[in-house]
Amino acid sequence: MRITNNMLVNNMVNHIGRNMIRMESYQNKLATGKKISVPSDDPIVAARALKLRTDVSQINQHIRNVDDAMSWLEITEASLNNIGEILHRARELAVQGSNNGTATDEDTQKIAQEVEQLKGQLIQIGNATYAGRYIFSGFKTDTKLLNDDGSFAIDVKDTEVIMYEIGISDNIDINVLGGHLFDNGGEALTGGTGQLIQMMTDYIDALESGDKEGISKAIADIDEEFNNLLAIRAGVGARYNRLELTRDRLESDKLNFTKLMSENEDVDQAENIMLLKNEENVYRASLSGGAKIIQTSLVDFLR
Amino acid sequence: MRQSFFGFNVAVRGLYTAQRNLDIINNNINNVNTPGYSRQQAVQTASRPLPMLDGTGMVGTGSEVIGVNRVRDEYLDYKYWSENTSYGEWEVKKALLSELEVTFNEPSTSGFSTIMDEFFGSLQELSKDPTSKSVRTLVKETGVTLAKYFNSLANHFEQLQVDVNDRIEVTVENINSLGTQIQQLNKQIYSAELDGNTANSLRDQRALLIDELSKLVNIDATEIVVGKLPNGKVDSRMIITISGKPFVDHFSISKLAVTQREEKLNDEDVPSLYEVGWADGNTLNVKGGALKGYLDVRDGNEGENGSPVFSGIPSYIRKLDQFVQTFAMAFNEGIIDYNNNGTIDAGEDGAGHVDGYGVGTGTTKEIRFFTMLGAGNQALSSEDFILDGGYNSLKAKNFAVSSDIIDDINKIATSSDPDEVGNTVNLKELIKFRTNTQMFVEGAPEDYMKSIVTTLGVNSQQAVRFAANKTVIIEQIENRRLSESGVSLDEEMANMVKHQQAYSAAAQMINAMAEIYDILINRVGI
Repeated sequence: MRITNNMLVNNMVNHIGRNMIRMESYQNKLATGKKISVPSDDPIVAARALKLRTDVSQINQHIRNVDDAMSWLEITEASLNNIGEILHRARELAVQGSNNGTATDEDTQKIAQEVEQLKGQLIQIGNATYAGRYIFSGFKTDTKLLNDDGSFAIDVKDTEVIMYEIGISDNIDINVLGGHLFDNGGEALTGGTGQLIQMMTDYIDALESGDKEGISKAIADIDEEFNNLLAIRAGVGARYNRLELTRDRLESDKLNFTKLMSENEDVDQAENIMLLKNEENVYRASLSGGAKIIQTSLVDFLR
Repeated sequence: MRQSFFGFNVAVRGLYTAQRNLDIINNNINNVNTPGYSRQQAVQTASRPLPMLDGTGMVGTGSEVIGVNRVRDEYLDYKYWSENTSYGEWEVKKALLSELEVTFNEPSTSGFSTIMDEFFGSLQELSKDPTSKSVRTLVKETGVTLAKYFNSLANHFEQLQVDVNDRIEVTVENINSLGTQIQQLNKQIYSAELDGNTANSLRDQRALLIDELSKLVNIDATEIVVGKLPNGKVDSRMIITISGKPFVDHFSISKLAVTQREEKLNDEDVPSLYEVGWADGNTLNVKGGALKGYLDVRDGNEGENGSPVFSGIPSYIRKLDQFVQTFAMAFNEGIIDYNNNGTIDAGEDGAGHVDGYGVGTGTTKEIRFFTMLGAGNQALSSEDFILDGGYNSLKAKNFAVSSDIIDDINKIATSSDPDEVGNTVNLKELIKFRTNTQMFVEGAPEDYMKSIVTTLGVNSQQAVRFAANKTVIIEQIENRRLSESGVSLDEEMANMVKHQQAYSAAAQMINAMAEIYDILINRVGI
């Protein structure tokens, strides 16, 4: 095929142009560290990148939810612990006060005063808050559970369970219902008085009137309330364990997915730099070879 | 009997021939870098010999140049013109599709997936603390960001459509102007060739113009023979047709024209786009070239309503509109048309924003979270939205958070009971929409958007590949053309030396002849 000087120049320009396009793409990858800058560079990588981003962000959200759930349960656990101590003290006093031999009417009066204080503390704990929200009030987190006299100020139905999402279709209930705690598993109704408070009131009456039988009955009642409390604490403890396990699993999922995301869209810099250097070599060779050829023609050699 | 100065005349002819050849070489060297130039060659023959009357043979009478030919392979021109058409089309599509991709800006930290993620993230935070004012404000703000993202996408696409529309007008003007120039050249070539010459440089110029024209629109350029001229040469005419109808026919031209459409081709179009047709009123079906590239991208709605079978701008706007309508209807009303039959069957109406209550006194149901922009680009309230056309009028361009929510963030419907501020049952239903894989044929909302972006990525990659292929083909044909018709400096130099020597030899011959005549005239018979 006949080749003219212009063809040599044209072809050289075309090839150098193509070399530069390849070099530019490696250069971009070096500078951004990513395999793609627009989806058309590699649509499959782009599709996977979008999916993995969504997955990682959902995992992060679930981790946040788990942390918040754990801190709510910690506050609940502390309150339940307090109630446990109060009941323990009340029982001690009841054993003291029911002793026919050593306890006089004066003694029981003094015990009654302390138990009155204990009852007041129970009511305070019933109205415990977490970040300004009442934790035992079910969905009505802006209103107190108990009035000052210990009666329920609001209804708390069994359906008012606050659920946090800690995984896809994975919810956990984080609150303890006021009725379960103060009414031995029942529902709280406005105006009614829960078993726990009622028991304390009866106990105080028995102490003030010196009713030894009533005080003995109080011991049995306190034991019953104690059992209820333990059951609730076990539930809270179990849920806390579940959250810890979930958190570990989420952390390891996050690590896995982040690794997948990186493998998918990050470029292997070592390989990339090598390819870039290779391309540069080709470019230099094409420049130097072309330059030598296009400059000479027959004109230089005619006398 | 011989002529007296026969030898002299023959030598002089040699000089003329060599000079003529050198002129042609001169012209070639001058035009080595002229685009579209084909090298010219002399047609040199020996002149008619004279027979000697006494039968002792024929006497040669020298050489003469009887014509100048242009060295050009017309077949390569036809090949170039037909490949150039698809090259033009795919170059245009490559550039425009890559512009569309950049608009979506995915994958990145500021694209759709991040914005959607932040919106649902804020809803999750709200589900943990439904009474917090700061979290409610966050939900409102991320909702507004989501709506504004769609507004800006739709606006950008419309602007792009207007830009392409302008380019179509400019392209048609270019086509017409090239056609007019070709028509003028036709006249000039015809009159120049009447006396038997070939108008070489004019033909080169015309071929160059047709090169340009073939990139813009699909043409068929042929030179047909219609008879014989008086001097015996063929009478040929150049006809250029577009999709079968003549555009330039010898001396006459039928121009293209753009008219504004009265009715939109696609609902998603901006109004009054240009329709390309013939100036005499006939319709034009553009099949290739840059013009087809522009028309496909501007009008392409995958074949619906008679639009081009291509995923152009209207198809993307339509997909965005569909997303916005389906998502808003699901989020607001809880209604998803699972079986895509156009009617709401039983079981397709779940819990949505309108079924929940906000916090605070006097909170009611029937508040919609998403509405659309109304007059003065202000968001409408939930009631006005339904009065103003409802979901059928909701588009990506006017998607907005409702004015009810913007004015009072307490109306964000978290609760299923008006008196329970900690109740998040309704909000949980709203959050589930993120992972509802039945909402669209493609899956959950993020899957739908992902499929749009990756479809665009695949189409754009295809355009890049096709354009690269066509570039290689065009370069190869151009190389063959240059190989055939390009001027090679080395060759011209060598020929120059050749004819220079021929000239010197002829000049020496004249000297020799002059000496002979000198002897004959001045010295014989004195």
